[in-house]
Amino acid sequence: MQIFVDNILPVFFDRANTANSQVWNQSLSFTKGENIHIIAPSGSGKTSLVHFLYGIRKDYQGSIRYDMNDIKNFDAEKFAVWRQRHISIVFQDLRLFTDQTVLQNLEIKRLLSPFHANSPVEAMAKKLGIENKLDKPCSTCSYGEQQRIAIIRALLQPFDFLLLDEPFSHLDDANRKKAMALMEEESQSRKATIVLADLREIEYFTSERTLHL
Amino acid sequence: MPSYQHIEPFLSVKQPGLARWLSYIGLGLGVLLLLSSIQLFINIQLLLKDKASTTNGADFISVTKTITNANMGKDNSFSDADLANIKAQPFITDAAPLISNQFRVKASAGSIIPFSTDLFLESLDDKFLDTLPPSFSWSEGEPEVPIVFSSDFMEMYNVFAPSQDLPQLSDKTMSSVGIILECYSPAGIQNYRARIVALSDRINSVLVPASFMYYANKNFGGVTNVNASRIYIKTTDANNPQLLRFLSEKEYRVNKDRTKFGRVKQLLQAVVSGLAGFGVLVILLAMLLFSFYLQLMIAKSQHNLRLMLTLGYSPGWLSKTVAKKWVPVYTTIITIALVLTALLQWGFQHQVMYERDELSPLIHWMVLLTALVLLMLSILTNYRLVKKLLSRLG
Repeated sequence: MQIFVDNILPVFFDRANTANSQVWNQSLSFTKGENIHIIAPSGSGKTSLVHFLYGIRKDYQGSIRYDMNDIKNFDAEKFAVWRQRHISIVFQDLRLFTDQTVLQNLEIKRLLSPFHANSPVEAMAKKLGIENKLDKPCSTCSYGEQQRIAIIRALLQPFDFLLLDEPFSHLDDANRKKAMALMEEESQSRKATIVLADLREIEYFTSERTLHL
Repeated sequence: MPSYQHIEPFLSVKQPGLARWLSYIGLGLGVLLLLSSIQLFINIQLLLKDKASTTNGADFISVTKTITNANMGKDNSFSDADLANIKAQPFITDAAPLISNQFRVKASAGSIIPFSTDLFLESLDDKFLDTLPPSFSWSEGEPEVPIVFSSDFMEMYNVFAPSQDLPQLSDKTMSSVGIILECYSPAGIQNYRARIVALSDRINSVLVPASFMYYANKNFGGVTNVNASRIYIKTTDANNPQLLRFLSEKEYRVNKDRTKFGRVKQLLQAVVSGLAGFGVLVILLAMLLFSFYLQLMIAKSQHNLRLMLTLGYSPGWLSKTVAKKWVPVYTTIITIALVLTALLQWGFQHQVMYERDELSPLIHWMVLLTALVLLMLSILTNYRLVKKLLSRLG
């Protein structure tokens, strides 16, 4: 399993301003099992890149291929299957169902395409310190707690690639490390790739490649 | 795999309010109206089917020239030219003359039925007869003449027979009654045995084979070329306006029973069709209400639905799952309407029509089929609407 990124550039970017980018206008490939760290200052298109890779935006030039299939040609059903089984994401803006409980938010994803034989929700919630929040509405949780909910949600499905867009912005050091450890553990059990995009280098993230946006 | 109950908390689904109950009732009434109209239409066809005058979609009507003060006493028979002109009309499939006897005929039934009367005889092309037994034929020299007798005449006889101390006749016994036909001519009286071989519901006459009529008119009446006073025409629609206009222009009379009968049937069918059309309109309005509700629900839930699609939910699965929620609603409403239609039909056949054989107490298969088609259409329309609305979110 590979993702090929061929000369992609957001349509709203000036090509001249991306001369030093190791991602924009470059030909890259991400292989399953190889962790990628993308360091991107604010405004460099980090979130846009993650959205392009996940397929929820198409306002770019170039192509992104999953194996040999250009994801721009995926229809809604194909995207659904792809997102159930091959790619997972932690959005920067989290995108939780705020009116529903934490457990409902997790189950709505877990039931779609469960990876674990038995539900790991309680165990993961305990590891990240939010086990007491499971029956509470998401809207009553702090932003940091919501980030941990979003992280657990992303780990409940099978995936070849896990996209992370500033997943620790509201976590303290201890919780960051716990969250990272959990994600690496789950990723390794799937022999998957983590693509972590953040403002700065995350020292406790073991990556095979670092790219500057 | 999740089910509807898992995603229901994420959708803005309110409990049925007044508006929704009204749309349920509207749909039920519309379906009931449509199904009972179809059943009623079929009932009309069965009850008002005039087997005799209509065969294979054709109407048979007898035509005579209108007798007025001006033409009274003159020859009002149809000439060959008249007959040819009638046959040439595009709305007339065929026409044949009724040839009547040109000599005096007297009929009696011997000692069994002491009955004697002067009689008229007619003959008509075989293909216009509604009943044609193999015995209805005659060749010169045969002493017995078969008769096809009008069932209306037989009924009239059986009505007045008891008052005349005459025996009533059943369909089976009438053929065993020996009749003597006395044919009068200048040369004398020639007697023939005769027997009623069939009853006709279509032709109000006493019919003998055309070969006998030709022979008898020639030998007893001294005429071979006889113009008919009555013509039978075959048409696809006795109420065709063009036909009626032609007959009026030519001052031809028809047996109004047939046309009036047809008009009554047409009127009833028109009324029932109108009811059915109204039923369809009510159904469409109810479905429109349902679709408004669906659109509202999806609009209110669009944030959550969009997020579900983003997280990997299949639009096809979401469409089917949301649409499936309505299947029990449609099934219940249409089933109730079907059961009510069945009860109405049973009541109609039992209580109103006194269990007439032409009608079944059960609903016709077409009504059942219509209900099934309606159900399929409702489910399909619902699914397609949900799919369309969801695809706009994606």
